[in-house]
Amino acid sequence: MTKAVRITVDGASLLAQEGQSLTAALMMAGVSAIRKSPTGEARGALCAMGSCHECRATVDGVRGVRTCLVPVKEGLRVEREMKLPRLPLESSPGGEGGDAPQIIETGLAVIGAGPAGLAAACVAAELGMKVVIIDESMGPGGRIWSHRHDPPLAARSWLERAREAGVLKLQGYSVFSGQAGVLDVARVTDGKRVRIQCQSMVVATGARERFLPFPGWTLPGVVGAGALQSLIKGGLNIAGRRVLVAGTGPLLLAVARLAKESGAEVILAEQSSLVDRSRLAIPLLLSPSRWKPARQLLKALGGIERYSSSWVTEARGGPALKEVVLRTPAGDRVLEVDGLAIGYGLIPETRIAAGLGCEVETTGTVRVDSLQQTSVPGIFCAGEPTGIAGCEAAIDEGMVAGIAAAGKTPKASLLARVRRHRFWGQALEDAHPLREELGKLARDSEILCRCEDVTVGEVSEISSIREARLIHRVGMGPCQGRVCESAAHCQSLSGSDTIRPPWTVVPGENQDMSSAL
Amino acid sequence: MDRHHVIIIGAGIVGVSCAHQLIQRGSRVTLIEAGPGPGVQGATAAGMGHIVVNDGEPEILKLCLRGREMWRQLLDENVGDRGYWNTGTLWLAEDEEQMHGLEGARDRLHSAGVDSHTVQASELFDLEPALNRDLAGGLRIPHDGVVYAPKVTARLLSQTTEVESRFGTRVTRVGDGLVTLEDGTEMKADAVVIASGISLLDNLAGEEDSPWKQNLKILPREGHLAITARGTGILRHHVVEAGYQKGAHGVVEEAVACAILPRPTDQLCLGSSRRPGRAGAVDPGVLKKVIDRCERFVPGVRRLPILRSWTGARAATMDGKPLIGPVPGWNRTWLVGGFEGLGITQAPAAAELLAQRIHAETCTLDAGPWDPGRMPALSAGGRSD
Ligand SMILES: Cc1cc2nc3c(=O)[nH]c(=O)nc-3n(C[C@H](O)[C@H](O)[C@H](O)COP(=O)(O)OP(=O)(O)OC[C@H]3O[C@@H](n4cnc5c(N)ncnc54)[C@H](O)[C@@H]3O)c2cc1C
Ligand SMILES: Cc1cc2nc3c(=O)[nH]c(=O)nc-3n(C[C@H](O)[C@H](O)[C@H](O)COP(=O)(O)OP(=O)(O)OC[C@H]3O[C@@H](n4cnc5c(N)ncnc54)[C@H](O)[C@@H]3O)c2cc1C
Ligand code: FES
Repeated sequence: MTKAVRITVDGASLLAQEGQSLTAALMMAGVSAIRKSPTGEARGALCAMGSCHECRATVDGVRGVRTCLVPVKEGLRVEREMKLPRLPLESSPGGEGGDAPQIIETGLAVIGAGPAGLAAACVAAELGMKVVIIDESMGPGGRIWSHRHDPPLAARSWLERAREAGVLKLQGYSVFSGQAGVLDVARVTDGKRVRIQCQSMVVATGARERFLPFPGWTLPGVVGAGALQSLIKGGLNIAGRRVLVAGTGPLLLAVARLAKESGAEVILAEQSSLVDRSRLAIPLLLSPSRWKPARQLLKALGGIERYSSSWVTEARGGPALKEVVLRTPAGDRVLEVDGLAIGYGLIPETRIAAGLGCEVETTGTVRVDSLQQTSVPGIFCAGEPTGIAGCEAAIDEGMVAGIAAAGKTPKASLLARVRRHRFWGQALEDAHPLREELGKLARDSEILCRCEDVTVGEVSEISSIREARLIHRVGMGPCQGRVCESAAHCQSLSGSDTIRPPWTVVPGENQDMSSAL
Repeated sequence: MDRHHVIIIGAGIVGVSCAHQLIQRGSRVTLIEAGPGPGVQGATAAGMGHIVVNDGEPEILKLCLRGREMWRQLLDENVGDRGYWNTGTLWLAEDEEQMHGLEGARDRLHSAGVDSHTVQASELFDLEPALNRDLAGGLRIPHDGVVYAPKVTARLLSQTTEVESRFGTRVTRVGDGLVTLEDGTEMKADAVVIASGISLLDNLAGEEDSPWKQNLKILPREGHLAITARGTGILRHHVVEAGYQKGAHGVVEEAVACAILPRPTDQLCLGSSRRPGRAGAVDPGVLKKVIDRCERFVPGVRRLPILRSWTGARAATMDGKPLIGPVPGWNRTWLVGGFEGLGITQAPAAAELLAQRIHAETCTLDAGPWDPGRMPALSAGGRSD
C-alpha cells in the first residue's frame, strides 16, 4: 500500500507517495521544469534513469542530486536549481584530510543490479564467494525488473537467491572511480563515500537510451521512451493522458504496452519500415522461447493508433509540450499530446568498464572472451555493455561471469546459449536501422549539448569531438556527454571522449557521515 | 622574390601566437599540427589559464608581464570564456612568515612596475568571503586574470588570416630549415619554428651525442586538475597559496598546492599537483590530495560536485627558463618552448620575441636569458670529446 507523505518544493508543501521516485512526484504535482539551463531555458527530466542529469536539484541541502534516483520520504526538501544559488560554505567535517571512507572488503564486487549483475552475484555467492553488489537506482532489478511495488516473478527468484546467498547490497550508490581491486562509490542522495576492496569485479552497468536532437527536444515533457517506463514504474500516473511513444526499437513496444495498461491513450510511431523489421522473421522463427511473449505483446498493443516509417520532426509548446509533428508516409501530421516519449535505441553503458581500463571495441561494446573476461584480468563484463541483446542474454552472461569470477568453468550449454543471444541481439539491431533524415532534423539554432546549451550551428564547422568539447564545451556538463555524444556523432563529429574520474558525477564529499549499511 | 616562408610545428597556444606575430611581419606561414585542431592536443588543452605575473626571477617576471600586457590588448575584457577575465590573483599566506614573504614579493613587483598590494587578514574576507578564517593575509595583484586557452587559441588562429593550417599532420624529423612529415614529404622554409610543447626536442636531426642535445632537455611534469559543476563560482579572484612557488620551481618528486581558478561559467578549476612524467591517467589519490589541499584554503570545496578531472604535462627545462631562439649551431630552425606552468601567460611575449629575432628586428625584451645556446656545455665551446 502506498502512503501519502509531505515534501516541500521551493518552500511550498506538496503531497506525494512514499517510495515514489522524486521526479515522478514532481511531475505528478505539475512541476515538470526542474532546472534552468545556462542560458535560462526551463528543463525537465529526460532519461529518468540517472544518465542525463537533467532532473538534478538540491535535495535536503545536497546539490546536484538526480531526483529520478531518489525515493520520496516524509519531509524531503527540494530546491529546484532554477536560480543556481550560491553555496553557503562551511567547512566539511573531517578537516583537511577528510573523513576516511568506510571500507568494505569483499571477494567479488558487482556493478549494476540488473538481470546480469544479479545473476552474476547470485551464482558467485552460491559458489562460496563473498559478494557486494552496487547499484545507483532506487531498487534492485535494473531496467526491466525494478519496480516500486512488487517486482516481477523472475526478479523475485533472483532477489531471493541473492538474499539467501548473503550478497551484500549497496543500493542507491554510484560507482564513480577506481581501478582493478578498488572501487569508490558515493551515495546518490548525499555523496557519502564507501571504498570497496575486492579480488574481482563484474561490470553489469546495462545500457542507456540514444537521443537525437530535433526542434523542441528540450521542452519539459519530452522524455525518453525508457524514461516513461521508469517514471510509470516509479509512480507517475498517466491515466487519461495522451502520449506519443516514438523513435525506434523493441523498447517502444514494451513502453507503449505499459503506458496503455496504465490507462493512457497511446499513439505509437516507429521510424523503421515494415521491410526492415521483416528481417526479424527468421531469427524469431528460430527462437521458440520468444514466440509466446511476442504474441502477448502484439495482443496487448491491439487497438492503439500505430504508425510505421514515421518519425517526429518537431515538438512544440512552451513552457510545456503541446503538440508534436509526426512525419508519416502519408504526410506530416500534427498530434496534440500531453507527453512525448522518444528514444532511438540503446547504447551500451561502457564508461565504467572503460574507466577501469577495459578495452572497448570500435563498435562501442566492451571486448570480452567466452568467459565474459575483459582485457583487464579479474574484471568481467556482462549484459548490455557487451552488446544489446535483452534480458535473457543478460542473465546468461551474468551467470557465466559469476561462475568464471568464482574460478569455475561454466557448462557448454550455457556458453552456447550466450552465443545464440548475441545472434539475436544483432538481428534486432539490423531490423531497426536509423534513417539518415534523423541526423538532420535539428536546425542550427537547436541545442545539441543540453547541459551546456551549445547549439548545432556552433559546431557546424568542426570535425572532431575533441574540438567540440574543448572549444565549444559540448559534453562538458554533468552528464559528461552521455546525451550529446550520440547526437554529436550524427552531426558527423568523430572520435570520443577520454573517460576519467569521476566516471559519473556524484554529490561532493562529506555531506553526511551516517553509515552505509 | 618569394615571400619569407615559415613552417611552425605545433598549434598550441605558443605555435598559434607565433603564427599571429609572423603574419603581422609579412611572413607566409604554414602551421603543422598532429591533432585535429588548434589548442586541443597538448598542454594548452590542459592548462588552468591563469594569467599571472609571477614573482620569481626578474627575467621571468618581465616575460610574464609582457605576456599579460599583450593578452589584455589582444582580447576583449570580461566577455566570458572567449576573452580576458580580469579576476586578479590573491596569494594566500597561512602564517606570519609567509606573509613576510608576500611583502617581499610586493616590493619586487612594485619595482618592476606591477600594481600589487598586501591584504590584511581582516580585509581578506571582504574580498573573498569563502576563504578560511585562519589565514594570515594575502597579496593581491589586481590585473592578473583568466583566459580559457583552447578557445582563445582557436579564436586567435581564426582571426589570423592567411595561415595555411595542416591539422592531423605529424612531423617526424626536423633539420636546419627542413621538415619531414609522417608520409615522407619533405618541406623547406626560410625558417622552421618548433612549438611542439613537450615534444619540443624529439624530432631534431643530428647526432644524439652532440653535447647541446644532451644538455637541452625537456622534463615533463604532470599536473592534476578538476572542475566543479556550474553554480559554484564562490570566488572572484584566482586564489593561490603562497607556498605554491616552492612546489612549482623545485624539481621535487611530488608537490601539491592550492590554486583555485574561477571560470566565467560559474565553475571553479581546482589545482594543482606536480610530479615528474608525462600526462597519464588520472590518479584518484593525487586528485584527492589536490582537493583536500584546496579545502584547507576554501573550506567546503570538497562538498562541491566535480564534473571532470584531467592531467596535463608542463614542459620544464634544466634551468627552469623557457627556450626561445635558434637551435644551437643552426640558422633556420628555432625553438620556442619549455614554459613549465606559465606558457599561457607568456605565449604572446615569447612569440613576439621569436618573431623579432627571426626578422632581425630590435627585441622588446632581452633575448639573452632565453637563448637555447645558454646551456653550459655549449658555452664551453661546442663539441667536447
Ligand atoms: C531505459 C531502458 C528500458 C528498458 N526496458 C526494457 C523492457 O521493458 N523490456 C526488455 O526486455 N528490455 C528492456 N530494456 C533492455 C534491458 O537493458 C535489458 O533487457 C536488460 O535489463 C539488461 O540487463 P542488464 O543487467 O545488462 O542491465 P540493466 O538492467 O540496465 O542494469 C544495469 C544497472 O546498473 C546500474 N548502474 C549503471 N551504472 C552504474 C554506476 N556507475 N554505479 C552503480 N550502478 C550503476 C543501473 O542503475 C542499472 O540498475 C531496457 C533498457 C533501457 C536502457
Ligand atoms: C596542469 C597544468 C596547468 C597549467 N596552468 C597554467 C596556467 O594557469 N597559466 C599558464 O600560463 N600556463 C599554465 N600551464 C602551462 C601551459 O599550459 C603551457 O605552458 C602551454 O599551454 C604550452 O603551450 P604550447 O603551445 O607550447 O604547447 P602545447 O599546447 O603542448 O602544443 C604543442 C602542440 O604541438 C603538437 N605537436 C607535438 N609534436 C608534434 C609533431 N611531431 N608534429 C606535429 N605537431 C606536433 C601537439 O599536438 C600540440 O598541439 C599549465 C600546464 C599544465 C599542464
Ligand atoms: S548534454 Fe550533457 S554534456 Fe552535453
